[in-house]
Amino acid sequence: MEVKIGLEVHCQLNTKSKLFCGCKNDVSDVPNVFTCPTCLGHPGAKPVFNKVVLDKALEVALALKCNINKTILFSRKSYFFPDLPNNYQITQYEFPLAEKGMFDGIRITRLHIEEDPGRLVHKGSFVLIDYNRSGTPLIEIVTEPDITSPERAKDFLNKLVNALEYLGVYSRSSEASLRCDVNVSINGGNRVEVKNVNGINDVRKVLEYEIDRQQIQQAKQETRGWDSEKCITYEMRTKESEQDYGYITESNLPSFEISDIMIESAESKLPELPHVKAKRFMGDYRITPEDAEVLTTEIELADLFEAVARKIDPVLAARWLRRELVKLLSLNKKKMKEIEIDEQQMTDLMDLYFSKKITDKIAKQLMEIIIEKPIDIKKYVEENNLMAVSDENELDKWCNEVINDNPQAVDDYLKGSENSLNFLMGKVMRLSKGKASPDLCKDMIKRKLNK
Amino acid sequence: MKVNKEVMKKIETNARLNLSEEEREKFMAQINDVLDYFDKIKEANTDDVEPSFHPMAIKNVFREDVVEESLTQEEALVNAKHKKDGFFKGPKVV
Amino acid sequence: MLSIKKMGFLRDPKWCEMDIKEFVAKVKSGEINVVEYTEKVLEDIEQINSNYNYFSVITKELALEQAKKVNRSKTGKLAGVPISIKDCICVKGVESSASSDILKGYKPVFNATVVKKLIDEGAIIVGKTVQDEFGFGGFSMNVGNSFKVPYNPFDIVRSCGGSSGGSGGITQKSRYLHVSIGESTGGSIACPASFCGVYGFTPSYGVVSRYGLMDYGSSLDKIGPMAKSLDDCKKVFDVIKGHDIKDSTSLDFRENEGEVKKVAIIKESFNVNPKIKDIVINKIQALGYEYEEVSLPVVDKYALASYSLIAMSEASTNLAKYCGLRYGYQPEMKEMYNDYFSKVRSETITDEAKRRIILGTFARMAGYRDAYYLKALKVRTLIINEYRQKFKEYDILLSPTMPILPPALDEVKYLEPLELYKMDQLTIGVNLAGLPHISLNAGFVDGLPVGLMLIGDQLKDNNIFKALEGIDGS
Repeated sequence: MEVKIGLEVHCQLNTKSKLFCGCKNDVSDVPNVFTCPTCLGHPGAKPVFNKVVLDKALEVALALKCNINKTILFSRKSYFFPDLPNNYQITQYEFPLAEKGMFDGIRITRLHIEEDPGRLVHKGSFVLIDYNRSGTPLIEIVTEPDITSPERAKDFLNKLVNALEYLGVYSRSSEASLRCDVNVSINGGNRVEVKNVNGINDVRKVLEYEIDRQQIQQAKQETRGWDSEKCITYEMRTKESEQDYGYITESNLPSFEISDIMIESAESKLPELPHVKAKRFMGDYRITPEDAEVLTTEIELADLFEAVARKIDPVLAARWLRRELVKLLSLNKKKMKEIEIDEQQMTDLMDLYFSKKITDKIAKQLMEIIIEKPIDIKKYVEENNLMAVSDENELDKWCNEVINDNPQAVDDYLKGSENSLNFLMGKVMRLSKGKASPDLCKDMIKRKLNK
Repeated sequence: MKVNKEVMKKIETNARLNLSEEEREKFMAQINDVLDYFDKIKEANTDDVEPSFHPMAIKNVFREDVVEESLTQEEALVNAKHKKDGFFKGPKVV
Repeated sequence: MLSIKKMGFLRDPKWCEMDIKEFVAKVKSGEINVVEYTEKVLEDIEQINSNYNYFSVITKELALEQAKKVNRSKTGKLAGVPISIKDCICVKGVESSASSDILKGYKPVFNATVVKKLIDEGAIIVGKTVQDEFGFGGFSMNVGNSFKVPYNPFDIVRSCGGSSGGSGGITQKSRYLHVSIGESTGGSIACPASFCGVYGFTPSYGVVSRYGLMDYGSSLDKIGPMAKSLDDCKKVFDVIKGHDIKDSTSLDFRENEGEVKKVAIIKESFNVNPKIKDIVINKIQALGYEYEEVSLPVVDKYALASYSLIAMSEASTNLAKYCGLRYGYQPEMKEMYNDYFSKVRSETITDEAKRRIILGTFARMAGYRDAYYLKALKVRTLIINEYRQKFKEYDILLSPTMPILPPALDEVKYLEPLELYKMDQLTIGVNLAGLPHISLNAGFVDGLPVGLMLIGDQLKDNNIFKALEGIDGS
């Protein structure tokens, strides 16, 4: 089965103020507190273009390897909806910011700037409208139908979002700030567009549903909606999908010329993007592709790794960060941005661990502490007497005690059970409050029992 | 006839206007009359001519990314007849 | 308490012929009490309005409040000057409806930039003037049902012109000093200036901020003053002009010195009523101009079509916001949203507004957009270029403002839309190209005023004032 998927991705940019007015670009529980005549569509109000939106959009366009159009314009896309204060959306039609790019092996058709409408709350016989979101800056990224499966789409979007976070233009705070229109056809059949899909997971669900549906029922060229509660796509009323947008130039705005200097300046600000960084990590540090991919999901994590890798063996450091830090963050639902771990703490911890001065257990305990608050690792270990114990006499005492207290386990081990050895080891670790050196422990127990 | 009934109905839908049969007939005649006159412009030679979106070229007008004072919720809603709990109220959509 | 002497002072006809220069001097010296003067003005316009319908709102409280302030401070280039504002320009807290029922009751929460500038210079806002709804018309007859058609100050059965009809009318009829702020998209300042026998100055596009002006054609709209003296026009223009950060098409207007060496009449513009032609030529000669003749064939042939397609396309999108949400007419919401929008719009706006929305929507619809909207934009370039060519040689172009005398309202009623649109033929090209122009009274035919129009090159607004220097004996 041949599947063709194209995406139109809308991302909200994280500027301080809105696209065409000075209202705060923010969410609020209180409706209609970030509004003004411009984003409320009051007669006589006029738009004025936020320069930083152009700067950020330009960076994204360059990161996506697009050609930048030297002269750009805004257009009015006309349709009537209660969340659209002017009943036209200011977007870019004939003269978008950028075209013909490439990202993650998928061709980018175009990238343009447009404004977000407000937010509707459906209440049965009427709707409630909050215009706080009205006029938020969006970039729309349109791909060619090069994506060949729902999984690939999800993967592409994750990488794209990652790149946008690296660029510092977007924050993945809520699923709602990434909205997609999804285009899909199978086996050369008609293309179906599904509008307003919120979040990457829903995109995958929509695609899976549509591909199934189109296999059963021959697709006709149409626009469908997505019901995220029932998880189905549905036919849209023809009146809505037949609206002619009647594009004209937004003549309350001038044209904008993108100079070579602007492009060079934006290019110089581009950080190393995730997939490029991952590749470099594999080359420079010889770490595995899986480790490289995980470490580059957040730029703070990647930076931490590189700092630590100056003093610690990179392969070991990578594995540790992936298995311990990333896992902990995920369990505690935290992001790197939210914690205060610095390279000194990480380096000290790994140094102590890899030189066997602290045990695995202790190291894990320390990790749990430092994701909550920063501590001086070396000092803390010393003050709390957490160094690994390899003193023969101490170990001897603990092993003897455990052997004496657990005759059944000893018996089982002598009968051939390896698990029992681990059980006994566990007891020693507990007795020693995690400080007993595990390797020495194991050897000692074995020696004692094999006598 | 350039604008026939079918096209008129499409325009009405796009523009959110309800016309009675009578109005539609009247407007159709007037509009076709006007469009016949507007068709003149087809005779103008505009090969290699760029469109003028404004009378003179206007370029690169920006504002800084600075937060300015918004209207209060009360001010925003002051002209609205239909409102509830700080929201504007609108007609049913689904 | 008014002394008898002072009251007598105010009834002196000499005072009513004052221009801004004289008036402001007397305000600053204390000779004129602004509050008293304003009270008289308000009385006068109330009375005029009851017969002529020039105002949709008379802002008595606001005017007296401002008058008190100015009387105390005695500052501002327009200290105490009574000013009316065309209804489509937002005045904070004052009903501003562009003479449309769909905006009945709407009170903006902000002032248009021009209004703020005028108030800052001490002007007294006395009211909002009636117009063709949203600017759609040349006779101020396309008003909403809640509004009355304004009558020509020289003959009440005739039209004021439009769309700034109320502005033109009150400027002429007021017994006291008065300036009105009008708006022009295709000629809506010049036309009523001509029909009402006053000066009406339309600046170059972009020179006066459009922030707070309800959009008709965003690439065409301009705000300008109407007055009984040239100098008054200039003084008000000087206050309202200038770059505004709130309007992205507002230009950084660098005043030129004002230089008029060569002038020409526009050949095609004189194919009008011979009586009008004669009056206008006589006036031109009386002004002492030596003139040549130029031809503008592209303008003559295509300006109306190109202008109309662009203006209507833009207008049809600018009017989309009026749908019964957030402000204006908001009836009970019984229907689904599309039906509600259609109901609100269809029940309130005039036939002319509907026609223009239909034409404008059509012109930019897929399948027609290239042949109409986009083509019109290219033809616009041809027109701009034709004017540009002529202005390489000439500083001012001359023509009658209107091809007809102020028509009877009853006559206009029976004209077909296309015939009505063609009435604007003399001002339309000028407006399409964003050129500064002024209409001044050239004389009278059968007691009705005839306008002469001076046109300058883009952004050479001062050439117009230069060309008319000394005209009022100033």
